[in-house]
Amino acid sequence: MSTLLERHIVELLQEQNEKAISLLYEHYGDTLYGVAFKVVRNEELAQDVLQESFVKIWKKGNSYDSTKAKLFTWLFRITRNTAIDKLRSLSTKSDKEIQIDVSDVYNLGVESIRPEFMDIRQNLSKIEPKYQIVLDALFFQGMTQQEASDELEIPLGTIKSRLKIGLRELRKIYGSGVLLLPMIINIL
Amino acid sequence: MKEKIRIFLDTDLLEKYLLGTTTLEESHQVERYIAMYPEVRKTYEELQENLETFAKLHALKTPEGLKNRILERIRAQQTGRRRFQRFAIAATIAALLFAGSSYFFYNQSQNLQQENTIVNNKIKTLEADMRSQLEDVRNQFIVLNNPSTRKFMINGNKKARELKAVAYVNPVKKLSYINVRNLPNLPEDQCYQMWAEVNGEMVNLGVIKDIQDKDKLMALPYAEKAVSYITIEPKGGNNTPTVQNIVANINF
Repeated sequence: MSTLLERHIVELLQEQNEKAISLLYEHYGDTLYGVAFKVVRNEELAQDVLQESFVKIWKKGNSYDSTKAKLFTWLFRITRNTAIDKLRSLSTKSDKEIQIDVSDVYNLGVESIRPEFMDIRQNLSKIEPKYQIVLDALFFQGMTQQEASDELEIPLGTIKSRLKIGLRELRKIYGSGVLLLPMIINIL
Repeated sequence: MKEKIRIFLDTDLLEKYLLGTTTLEESHQVERYIAMYPEVRKTYEELQENLETFAKLHALKTPEGLKNRILERIRAQQTGRRRFQRFAIAATIAALLFAGSSYFFYNQSQNLQQENTIVNNKIKTLEADMRSQLEDVRNQFIVLNNPSTRKFMINGNKKARELKAVAYVNPVKKLSYINVRNLPNLPEDQCYQMWAEVNGEMVNLGVIKDIQDKDKLMALPYAEKAVSYITIEPKGGNNTPTVQNIVANINF
């Protein structure tokens, strides 16, 4: 399932070639920054998280196994876990507690004020909020469907069907082919 | 089997695995299911695609300069690592050298110890030899120097005219010695043997080994009116003397 670019990056990473990080940053930097921001909800913290994540990616390069996960899945795990660790360390360090609260799931309004977030808003707006919430709970909050059902007070069956529809909508916006094309062009 | 897969997919374990929040044991279970059931594998792959798509929806423009900061940190890591590698290589070489030289010196010390033991044993044997020989010489000197010791010159008979021997007899101390000075050459298959007649019986005193024993005194059993003989016998000696081959007769 991996693209040529992914394979190329993985090779460079395992050879400990610095170019791997450059390429990863170009192709996944924005997305991973978004992931970090989604968790820590602070630009400065998100930048720290991204830096730490890339250092981890660099160090763990040898442990990546393409048979177990796509490259992006692996990058996402590292970034999300780094972000969560960051929040935990901050909440133990200082009094002002930053928590990943379920209420954040609904809190889509904050970033929409800033102009650089506009295109996300546009894309996201193509998915109805009720589906977004379920996708968010699953992918970013790391909730199980049962947990999402409990937290959001929505029956499990509804969660399941909303998730299904949400995923279908997602695929409509970004067909995987469209996503891969610019990457392939980039290597050539 | 279908039921088993459905139950597994309902547990959300696959989703937890996707986000990397499973325990090691759970991860193994999920990986087993992915490997075994194409349906699970397909779901996992779809989830991965969806995760990437959904995450891309939330992509944010990274601030200027962040890329360089990250690359700088990685370069710093790398030089640190290189320095450590260089240090590790140097340390390994040093350790190997040390191990090698330790082994060499250990071996050498073992060898020296062995040699030391051998030399010590040799010295002990030599000492014992010297002591006994000195003792012999002293005893002989005492006998020879004794005023009552008499000296007999012995010549061979016609069969061995060149045979010359000296015998010392001390009747007070009841000791007698013989010193064979010269023996005529014999064919390869023959040798000289010495005998003594004690109380009417012939006692074998052994084969005389060439002229090497030139200065050696040989003790003879002492008896009043003892008779000793030297005979020519087949090589290796004989059990009884061959009377017709008597070459010398020592009669005190």
